Amino acid sequence: MTQVDIHALAGAYALDALDDLERVSFQRHVALCDACAQEVAELRETTARLADASWEAPPSTLKRDVMAEIGRTRQVGPAVRPARAEREGPAARNRWRRWTAGAVAAGILAIGAATATYAVQEQRVRQSEQVAAVLDDPDAVIRRVPVRGGGEMSTIVSPSKDAGIVLLSGLTNPDASHAYQLWYLEGDEKTSAGLMAAGSGGGFQFLERVGNAEAVAVTLEPAAGSEQPTTDPLAAVPVR
Amino acid sequence: MAETGPLRGVPSGSGGPSGPEPDALLHAVARGDERAFSALYDIVAPRVYGLIRRVLRDPAQAEEVAQEVLVEVWRTAARFDPQRGSATSWIFTIAHRRAVDRVRAEQAGADRVRRIAAASAETPFDEVVDQATAHLEQQQVRHCLKTLTDLQREAITLAYYGGHTYREVAELLGTGLPTVKTRMRDGLIRLRDCLGVSAA
Repeated sequence: MTQVDIHALAGAYALDALDDLERVSFQRHVALCDACAQEVAELRETTARLADASWEAPPSTLKRDVMAEIGRTRQVGPAVRPARAEREGPAARNRWRRWTAGAVAAGILAIGAATATYAVQEQRVRQSEQVAAVLDDPDAVIRRVPVRGGGEMSTIVSPSKDAGIVLLSGLTNPDASHAYQLWYLEGDEKTSAGLMAAGSGGGFQFLERVGNAEAVAVTLEPAAGSEQPTTDPLAAVPVR
Repeated sequence: MAETGPLRGVPSGSGGPSGPEPDALLHAVARGDERAFSALYDIVAPRVYGLIRRVLRDPAQAEEVAQEVLVEVWRTAARFDPQRGSATSWIFTIAHRRAVDRVRAEQAGADRVRRIAAASAETPFDEVVDQATAHLEQQQVRHCLKTLTDLQREAITLAYYGGHTYREVAELLGTGLPTVKTRMRDGLIRLRDCLGVSAA
């Protein structure tokens, strides 16, 4: 998406009318563009005024419930943005390492497939705070790579939150006794990062802790998942 | 519905009525001041609840989400950055985002646009304009919405009050994506100028 295109999304962004991946892309753009940030701030103020037209007395129970709940809700401190660690990926030493390196070269930027987006939104309601924190981080990095055999694998990683999201969309549906499995790659270590539903060519995985992993890869495994990958990776995306 | 006092919460700088400003109250809330929170609640809760109910339609769900949002305001008040906008804008942004998340998660799936189209046929997009009452702010918003072109107004109200993405809005209006994007942006700019909104 070009700069001109993405700038035109300011109105839709202020109206919350973008899907998740578009929103992350737009926020990254705004973080680098002072003029855009000013326009977005003004348009946000404007959309907030639209709430004026929705004035409605809330149920009398609401205030009681809210006051009771804040009495037992701990407040968070001001945001402190940690310095971002820059790190060079080590050279490839074997096939898996080459996949990692290839993924790094595969480039960045994604605009979401609708199915993947809805997967994020569904998940967000269940895991809302953590997922929203990743999606709302203007420093979150989005990457998308094609998957061998069809489909795409995307990651959204927030370095400051040490967390991320992996989306698989449009992969070939395996038979019901197989499932796609995700792997953290760190050096020569491969650790499971999550198992998709059996027989499904799409899915969503929240990465609670990216840690020192360099990339996330996907393989096809038996439906119950594997301790270590038993097939070659179909795609790998860097997570730092 | 009776209003119990002057409706405050107009963004600072727009000549709103006297009384503690939401910005000052939110600042106190960030330091754990429950009385400030109670005062802030009185100012913003009717709009938080009303906005969420307009998007979600179901009153019980709206109450649940409004509670989440207001507790979130308490919990994260220290994260509010006055450099980036007013307190009310920050709060209504949280409220709108939560409402939209809920509606999209529930309506996920291939038939979503069809269901949305059916729903919006029952309730015209300019319902909100017709429902405006005597509040000064409502009158002002209503007046300014009328200064937009039909397409600008429809695109904005379908997205904001309907909780639709711009792709869905394009489908509902039978318009191309670039046009919808552009109308949302230039419509909001016109609305901004009409309302005399400025960022902090």
